[in-house]
Amino acid sequence: MRKFIGLVGTNTTQSTNRQLLQFMKRHFVKQAELELIEVSGLPMFNKPQDMKVPERATEIAKKIDASDGVIISTPEYDHAVPAVLMNALEWLSYGIHPLLDKPVMIIGASFGSLGTSRAQAHLRQMLDSPEISARVMPSSEYLVGHVLEAFDDKGDLTDKDKVEQLDALFADFQQFVEISKELWHTVKVDKKEVQKLGKEDFN
Amino acid sequence: MKLVGIAGTVEDKSYNKILLQFIANHFSNLADIEILSIDDIPMFDQDNDQTESGAIQYLNRKISGADGVIIATPEHNHTITAALKSVIEWLSFKVHPFSNKPVMIVGASYYEQGSSRAQLNLRQILEAPGVNAIVFPGNEFLLANVKEAFDDNGRLKDEKTTAFLQTTLQKFLRFVKVINTMNQTAGGHDDAAGSEDLNSKGKISTTIEGVDMTADDWGEKAAEKVNAVEGNTYVKLDRGILTVDQLNYFLNSMPIELTYADSNNQFIYYNKMSSTKKMLAPRRPGQVGDPLSLVHPKRAIQGVKSVIHALRTGKTDMVKMPVPGNGPDKYIMHFYKAMHDEKGEYVGINEFVLDIMPIIKWYLNKTGQKLAADPNAEVDANTGASSKDDEADNSATDADTSASTHDEPEAEASNGDTDATTGASES
Repeated sequence: MRKFIGLVGTNTTQSTNRQLLQFMKRHFVKQAELELIEVSGLPMFNKPQDMKVPERATEIAKKIDASDGVIISTPEYDHAVPAVLMNALEWLSYGIHPLLDKPVMIIGASFGSLGTSRAQAHLRQMLDSPEISARVMPSSEYLVGHVLEAFDDKGDLTDKDKVEQLDALFADFQQFVEISKELWHTVKVDKKEVQKLGKEDFN
Repeated sequence: MKLVGIAGTVEDKSYNKILLQFIANHFSNLADIEILSIDDIPMFDQDNDQTESGAIQYLNRKISGADGVIIATPEHNHTITAALKSVIEWLSFKVHPFSNKPVMIVGASYYEQGSSRAQLNLRQILEAPGVNAIVFPGNEFLLANVKEAFDDNGRLKDEKTTAFLQTTLQKFLRFVKVINTMNQTAGGHDDAAGSEDLNSKGKISTTIEGVDMTADDWGEKAAEKVNAVEGNTYVKLDRGILTVDQLNYFLNSMPIELTYADSNNQFIYYNKMSSTKKMLAPRRPGQVGDPLSLVHPKRAIQGVKSVIHALRTGKTDMVKMPVPGNGPDKYIMHFYKAMHDEKGEYVGINEFVLDIMPIIKWYLNKTGQKLAADPNAEVDANTGASSKDDEADNSATDADTSASTHDEPEAEASNGDTDATTGASES
């Protein structure tokens, strides 16, 4: 059974983005293992000269390393990814590169009708940067809008169409993980390139 | 024109900090740019609202009071730093100082492509409804290859780049004016200086009630009322301990005249260093306790209100005012500095008065130099005029006044028993 990491891109205790990942964990329990990781609690990224990364970031990196893929759930603050998730990604690409060539799926939930489309596009752009270089599943936006009505008391998604969509996307993502393994040509080069990156690549 | 600058990073060594500092120093004749630190701003967390903390209120106050903002952004992972994003999140949560505020974005980077993606991203964030800033369109300033760009003194080496930056800044200053005019006509501006109560009718936590403010013996009566300590009683200060006597020796030996006006616009202290007659800005012991309306002539009231309001709202931190007409050997300056408590709340004005001519003469004497009029200086001799307050160019202004070209009285006399706070609203 494949093992996935679910990154909760928020530090709010009452977050539907966490709820969405928790739902996925239960819903796909027979297909894959999904471990949720919180991104809060890391110090503010300050580009230390000694390139020393906090222990918590190293721990997260190890778990990501050992996984088959990562699912990131992001809210949207000010048309973008929340600072707390950006901060985690900064630590996770400074001297360590656990997301390099790692299959990633992006999801997001929001109160409004737009879902988190801008934040997802923003996250995609970040994951595409040389220091992260993740393999983000293409054409796979998954937005849950109007979240207040989206979940029932047990925390399950009520909208059948949304569940169906998620089932399809998750199936595709598993496939994507396999396909990504075929994309091995660049992996070695990517690893070499990323080793060259240092302090100066974070301006 | 008062701007604030934010470098979007919390790292110790940052070329974006250097770039911003350079802009502030090099173009100080174009605008007063105060650099704000974001080092102490915590990670945004809506479950742990820290909007009221000193660090966030400081930014809120400074940005609210500024005419415009310059943000220098690095680029991490194709975007801005989490540290800068966190600041913007705090400032779009319970308070919204960026709302309708003109903002210019600049950025420095190590390589060719500059911080283009981060700048674009920042633009999008600043224009989100909760932030609602008005970002200066076009005119992207990307400084590439920063390692070679600055000399040891933090100055840009390339003259063309500096000239381009100057053009961009000048355009932005015009943009700021247009936007702020637009905001005013849209009703976003209030003529709030008029609301300053110089009669001190209000009450702040330190106001001593039940004593006639205007009485000559207010000091004695008020002290009695609150059992104020005196003599050899120790007072614990921010860093150190002095007795009240020692505090008096200390303050009264200052080579400057100090006046304390609290946030209720009450004149509550001055360092009685010499007799009223000998003071540069004469104060009488009996004036202590008076509301500010009583220690200024009527014609100065509007100016006083503008100065206080600018300091209270953070539009400026310091107002400088020369008192002309004292001949070549004396150049009396009044400085009005806003005071704040540890939370950044305005608590009053520290006015200090001194004659800077002896300092200038001493310096010239020691370094073998002499004063000479600068034929190119844009002399703004009528500094008392309030019509030009936006463009006031302090640094270039006062150089030749020792040659007494100042024949226009500056709305204030330095004699009499009134405070020298003047009608000028120059900052």
